[in-house]
Amino acid sequence: MTNSTLPNTATAMTTPPPPSAAPGVMVGSQLNARIPDGDPETAWLRRRQEYRVVNPANRKKFTVAVVGTGLAGAGAAAALAELGFEVHAFCYQDSPRRAHSIAAQGGINAARARKVDNDSLYRFVVDTVKGGDFRGREAEAYRLGQESVRVIDHMNAIGAPFAREYGGALATRSFGGVQVSRTYYTRGQTGQQLQLSAYQQLMRQVQAGTVKLHPRTEMLDLIMEDGAARGVIVRDLVTGEIHAQVADAVILATGGYGTVYYLSTLAVGCNASAAWRAHRLGAYLGNPSMVQFHPTCLPVMTPWQSKTILMSESLRNDGRMWVPLKPGDERAPGDIPEAERDYYLERKYPAYGNLSPRDISSRAGKEQIDSGHGVGPMHNATYLDLADAIKRLGANTIWERYSNLLEMYRIAVGEDPMQVPIRIAPNTHYTMGGLWVDYNLMSSIPGLFVGGEANSSYHGANRLGANSLLSASVDGWFVLPYAVMDYLAGRLGQARPALDSTAVLSAFERAQARTEALLQVRGTRTPAEFHKQLGNYLWEGCGLNRSDKSLKTAIGQIRALRSEFWQDVLVTGKGLGVNQTLEKAGRVADFLELAELLCVDALDRDESCGAHFRIEHQAAGEAVRDDDHWMFASAWATTAPLDFATNPTLRFTRHAEPLHYTNIQPARRNYQ
Amino acid sequence: MKLTLQIWRQRDTKDPGHYETFEVDQLDVGMSLLEMLDRLNEQLVHEGKEAIAFDSDCRESICGTCGVNVNGRPHGPRPHVTSCMQRLRSFRDGETVRIEPLRSGAFPVRKDLVVDRSGLDRIIAAGGTVALPAGTAPDSDAVGVGHDQVERALDFAACIGCGACVSACPNGAAVLFTGAKVAHLSMLPIPAIEKVPRAEHMVAAMEDEFGPCSQYGECALVCPQNVPLTAIAFLQKERLKSLLHPRV
Amino acid sequence: MSAPPDAAPTQAARVKPEPPPAFQVSGRHAKRLPNWGLKLTMALTGTIGALFLAIHLFGNLKVYSGAEKFNAYAYWLRHVGEPLLPANSVVWVLRIVLALCIVAHVSGATILWLRARKARGRFAAKRSHRVRSWSATLMPLTGVFILAFVLFHLADLTLGIKPLAPETFQEHTATAAFAYQNLIASFSRPAAAISYVGAMVLIAIHVSHGLYTVVSDLGAVGKRLRAVLIAIAGLTAVFILLGNASIPVAVLLGVLS
Repeated sequence: MTNSTLPNTATAMTTPPPPSAAPGVMVGSQLNARIPDGDPETAWLRRRQEYRVVNPANRKKFTVAVVGTGLAGAGAAAALAELGFEVHAFCYQDSPRRAHSIAAQGGINAARARKVDNDSLYRFVVDTVKGGDFRGREAEAYRLGQESVRVIDHMNAIGAPFAREYGGALATRSFGGVQVSRTYYTRGQTGQQLQLSAYQQLMRQVQAGTVKLHPRTEMLDLIMEDGAARGVIVRDLVTGEIHAQVADAVILATGGYGTVYYLSTLAVGCNASAAWRAHRLGAYLGNPSMVQFHPTCLPVMTPWQSKTILMSESLRNDGRMWVPLKPGDERAPGDIPEAERDYYLERKYPAYGNLSPRDISSRAGKEQIDSGHGVGPMHNATYLDLADAIKRLGANTIWERYSNLLEMYRIAVGEDPMQVPIRIAPNTHYTMGGLWVDYNLMSSIPGLFVGGEANSSYHGANRLGANSLLSASVDGWFVLPYAVMDYLAGRLGQARPALDSTAVLSAFERAQARTEALLQVRGTRTPAEFHKQLGNYLWEGCGLNRSDKSLKTAIGQIRALRSEFWQDVLVTGKGLGVNQTLEKAGRVADFLELAELLCVDALDRDESCGAHFRIEHQAAGEAVRDDDHWMFASAWATTAPLDFATNPTLRFTRHAEPLHYTNIQPARRNYQ
Repeated sequence: MKLTLQIWRQRDTKDPGHYETFEVDQLDVGMSLLEMLDRLNEQLVHEGKEAIAFDSDCRESICGTCGVNVNGRPHGPRPHVTSCMQRLRSFRDGETVRIEPLRSGAFPVRKDLVVDRSGLDRIIAAGGTVALPAGTAPDSDAVGVGHDQVERALDFAACIGCGACVSACPNGAAVLFTGAKVAHLSMLPIPAIEKVPRAEHMVAAMEDEFGPCSQYGECALVCPQNVPLTAIAFLQKERLKSLLHPRV
Repeated sequence: MSAPPDAAPTQAARVKPEPPPAFQVSGRHAKRLPNWGLKLTMALTGTIGALFLAIHLFGNLKVYSGAEKFNAYAYWLRHVGEPLLPANSVVWVLRIVLALCIVAHVSGATILWLRARKARGRFAAKRSHRVRSWSATLMPLTGVFILAFVLFHLADLTLGIKPLAPETFQEHTATAAFAYQNLIASFSRPAAAISYVGAMVLIAIHVSHGLYTVVSDLGAVGKRLRAVLIAIAGLTAVFILLGNASIPVAVLLGVLS
């Protein structure tokens, strides 16, 4: 089933996927990602020519359910509705505008290559594929770059006020260690402006009646008929009632699962339930262990902290990272003389210093914290010190550059970053992994499409800065409309399941029973307590550094915690009406299953690559890939035994999608 | 740190609602207002009681989901800061703090501190949009836009739709919110093409649910994004222009 | 003990599930006078009122030129345009226009006030202690007092209805006006003088916030334009206050007699 017919394949795995180092894992088949054969640069064009279309008069006969209204979901819903399909859009927030795409700060990359800095589509693809440490698809990186041009034009036209040069042309900045300037931005709130623009276009279709919008509605389960996705079971978060929406195709654009770590830069409501429910019904989960940690987050300041706020990496352009040389040093930063400070990034990575890539900086910071050099009241941060830059450039210049960040720090921490060093710590930020999809963004369940951070495409083992807004926008506006229409064209004349069909009723009853079960345990620990505990296990066992030992420990802990959860969780209130404790419990229940697979994938992948750092596989702190054995994307299937109700153990099967690189040669990163 | 909290409890929209008093102790001044509610909720659930329902999501002041009135002030004591970013250091030890939902006639309470702000979405749906199907946009560099022009547009586009302006308004008006969107879109060349019908439809939708503006200026005092009060004049300007605009 | 019900869903009530309810868009709008139109009406009628006050002030200040000139001015007002126009015609046109403005202004204010109460809902918003907010809050109150003052003022110095008017009030004749004498007589009563000064304070508050609102209601968005117009609004209010209030004060102090 592999793409062995690919003619120009220069690099590919030399041996079949190895057996798993994780106990109990079965090795499955090799997957075909349905990438067009031949030159990856023209793949998308050729694929679009192959796609079928639906006659405009027939389009209103089809219903598409879109879950999630971020950049990918709102884009796909609006674009499909513009084409004339009937769309049902769901979001758990009170308004579709609030999806977490809104929090992205830095910008959006595009391979427009207008300047004479010698940027090009090729260079964009190289950066994306290399950034992903050769664990993403080359042909998709091309598609990302090619459609990026239309994304910028579309976003500009529908209201995103991109920064402009005084001459009127779009301004760009360089971002995330890329040597050219291809990041388009609106101050430090690019995600907000793109998200609001997409939201507005969605609302335009809502007004036109082509999109039926269901805010404050959470997906609980997937309706399956004859092995294909045919709708969703949802809970109205206001009335608490459970409803069914049948559809010809379902799009999940539900974002990443970073909140499985409890603390992350994600919104507190972000969850993996929709994706995990689909996974349990047969949608493979791709590379779940590929999680990006961001080096410059505000540290945890109280035991009650609910999330970590991201501080843009741009601060590292002028800030120096340091910790006291002496472990447990309680002195105020100003009282620690220069000779007793360790500028650890400058020391370890003299070439890149404070501008070392995200994963390296994050690991170096955690190393300092773990070895007792952490600063702040909870000894869980390192300093990012602007003092030298203030001395060199003057306080005004620094304030102008970073005023919004410094002001946010001032509000959040209550200290003046112009006077005392900023405290930062690495934290969970983005999940490259997600539901496995083929080149058409369809999961292993026919009719179930996945867009944006919820899928595992584009970014491989590590995402390049400013590529997340891009991939979500490309999926939503410029891939899913084509791919979903192609799929629907094949369904012309076929009926959707009736509301009283077995397909709908079984999913409906599953969701009801699960909700009932959560309410009936009536134990002693709150869902949040389980979530926090799970986060601790994951952060220690499957965080920045992973080892055989840490992962096996974490897997054991997670399994035990999951059993405890179903015996001891305490959910007050009722199933009807607003019940946020119940919502939380349902999400945590799914996290407790996902977390195990996350660790199993990390244990299984016996190499380091990108954000996945196995301490067994490193050369002087650098990830060492094993292209001979691991140049494939893992796509996991999870099965539960028949007696799962009394024996909540999960069985995992790892399928493999071999990766091929035609135009770009795999190489090792080096930042020393 | 210790606080006495008077928190609005309301079972559902029909329930008249009441204040319930809680004593919370051993608080850390670095905690956010919402983290304090998280902690109180954990305690309530342990006692077998229902948690206090409140909205929040990103908890970094950009999504606009959160918002409670604290001692009568939308979002909390620190001006221009969302509820999620309000820290307990703004309160005195031992203070009595009253927490209630974002009050307004157009924001019915769904439960406790959770309100329905969908009226704001209806205003956007009515015209805060651009009639341009995906893929049909011209090259963004083909029409230049001045540097200062987009920066000014962004001052208005920065609105997070939290509804604090409505709650702060003694008239329950949503003019700052609506004006911000109208101003933002009227400053960009392609969205500006539809500004005539936009103002008309958005104002009509706004007046269906929200009150008239008397220029108290309270809205701009609480706005977490510092949306300028000029938004109000923008709305009226665009509405008047559509009055003068010939119809075919 | 309960566990994740994956394999064995409980036989919960087997009802046919319903599709989820959907978001409702703004429907057919209520057929009524729009708020923005009422605001515009109030802005225009209010501006006319403020203009009238400003012109009235210039006339009033003639009192400092002496009885003869002031009475001549009063006489001229009634006979301007003669013989082309009959006597009192300009005065009556002004009276009718102003009366219509007052009716429109007060009705607009009443409708908007009622709508604002309704939109506000069950709980009143807490106001900040700023001048802008206070003057906005006081608009209906100052408006009602000003309306009452206008009626008193007409009774006192135009119609001469006693006891509001001074005992010595003299009706104008076909050839002469006694505005100066009437004014001195009225303001020589300390209570009247004080109520005139008080009314001017209310008028200044009302006019300053009113004209400030007009700037936005007429859609002035330019930074400089707004600054100029808002300054004019404030200055107009100050001049009306100082100019008019100076007269009763001058009478009480014996500067005018």
